Amino acid sequence: MSILTEISDLLQKGRAKQVKELVEQALSDGIAPKDILNDGMISAMMTVGQKFKNNEVYVPEVLIAARAMTAGLEVLRPALTQAGVKPVGKAVICTVKGDLHDIGKNLVKMMFEGVGIECVDLGVDVDGEQIVAAVKESGAQIVCLSALLTTTMMSQKDIIEALKAAGIRESVKVMVGGAPVTQSFADEIGADAYTQDAASAAEVALQLLAS
Amino acid sequence: MIRINNRERANAILHYRDYDRMPVVHFGYWRETLRKWADEGHLTREEADRWGDGNRTDDVIAQKLGFDFGWGATLGQHTSLMPSFETKVIRDLGGGRRHVQNGDGVTVLESDGAVSIQAEISHLLVDRRSWEEHYLPRMRFSEERVNYEAIGRHKNTAYADRPTGLHIGSLYGTLRNWIGMEGLSYLQYDDEELYREIIDTMGNLCYEVTKRTLDTGVTFDFAHFWEDICFNSGPLVSPAVFAEKIGPHYRRITSLLMEHGVDIVSLDCDGCIDALVPVWLENGVNTMFPIEVGTWNASIAPWREKYGPDIRGIGGMNKTVFARDYAAVDAEIERLKPLVALGGYIPCPDHRIAPDAKWENVQYYTQEMRKAFG
Repeated sequence: MSILTEISDLLQKGRAKQVKELVEQALSDGIAPKDILNDGMISAMMTVGQKFKNNEVYVPEVLIAARAMTAGLEVLRPALTQAGVKPVGKAVICTVKGDLHDIGKNLVKMMFEGVGIECVDLGVDVDGEQIVAAVKESGAQIVCLSALLTTTMMSQKDIIEALKAAGIRESVKVMVGGAPVTQSFADEIGADAYTQDAASAAEVALQLLAS
Repeated sequence: MIRINNRERANAILHYRDYDRMPVVHFGYWRETLRKWADEGHLTREEADRWGDGNRTDDVIAQKLGFDFGWGATLGQHTSLMPSFETKVIRDLGGGRRHVQNGDGVTVLESDGAVSIQAEISHLLVDRRSWEEHYLPRMRFSEERVNYEAIGRHKNTAYADRPTGLHIGSLYGTLRNWIGMEGLSYLQYDDEELYREIIDTMGNLCYEVTKRTLDTGVTFDFAHFWEDICFNSGPLVSPAVFAEKIGPHYRRITSLLMEHGVDIVSLDCDGCIDALVPVWLENGVNTMFPIEVGTWNASIAPWREKYGPDIRGIGGMNKTVFARDYAAVDAEIERLKPLVALGGYIPCPDHRIAPDAKWENVQYYTQEMRKAFG
């Protein structure tokens, strides 16, 4: 078994300590940081995401895999920077104004980072003004908005309006999600994408970045 | 036609017997909903503030809206932290935001005007040491946990015009509240022994309190668990883990209930519960509640097709129509008709009625439900 396959297997099992050790070993073996990232780690998280979508694994398994990914990245990041490897994209992510629930948002963030998208996490109860400022400052290509409640989902629309008013709506793709949100609601408020779960969100984000 | 009361009606429906009409039931309201209705003059401010599941004000409000009763009213015993942690402001962040330690020992973010589930900032329960120091002493059985006074009152109302329920507690949802979703997920893998020990402690406590309650001779029409461990795509825990670690406790408690004649056992779990339903059925839970229609379109129909009459349901009425108009309410009642025809199912708004609900739409719903279902 190659070391990258081993990293992938251990990452999927959430073995953070062993992933970290093997990433160190792979670097000292002279394997390119980009290959370790793509073939050892991102591919593993994509497999976890697929299994999550298929109900083959559940939230705890996704979380421990994401934790192992983070552990591996700690070791790998300096090498990636040195090699000039950039994230595949950047996203501003938050739970919208009036809403303090962040489990879904955090899961999406983990899945995004798992597929190589850098996240600017604004936390919870976030309004359009904060989003506009974060997009301008970070140069993010994606804005990802979470809402738990029927009463707060309209804040997603308010944020899209704020992006329009700031003249930057066309420079970002807006993704929406959360328990009460549907595809038709996303269409109604002019979002670019709706996904039902965190793994699908990461897949769609990659597609949006590639488009 | 034999005249029966709401208690008999509900029991008849859940046991697939003949009944005269469907009781029109609710699952309570957000406080903000009641305050809005008070501002509109439908309720007094006192009623809005005093409402609680099954209290007198609950009956007053139900009567004004046309509901027969609220399904959320059960006899609850002390199966969680005793005492709970002191609720206190840890830090004022300014701008109407603050960090507050809640009764579960969790520091959460509170924000004026935000009414959703709070964001968790930090947890007191993180490992074995914190469990043994702060939580285990609050989870030991004592006679104080059994509210004999409430049982006495309950005995006096045992022939009331509504089904009577015993709240069993929670074996996983409460633990999730204490340690957080991430913490619980890591605990499952990092310290399986502690994970099992905590669940065993909770299961044994729920059993003991239930046993003492039932040993008084008090009778119940149903028992009720609470978990809330699913989101819009599925469960927060693997069904296999639930079956292995939590299932045996459910089985032990539901067997005890059966021995005391309680054959309807419901479970309150929001979200998409499909993957957990077989595990629950295997372990004695036979009634799903509140069957959130939401974005995942939960319904008793596919479960009945898959599991037969063993599965019953209460809920499954899409409460979002209350924010729309009479036509939307009519359409929802039409949608419910074939589900009611399946038997073993009582429609109920699929969660607390939210602040976007219009008073007149809820009144219209109760009125039309009576026309539609006898």
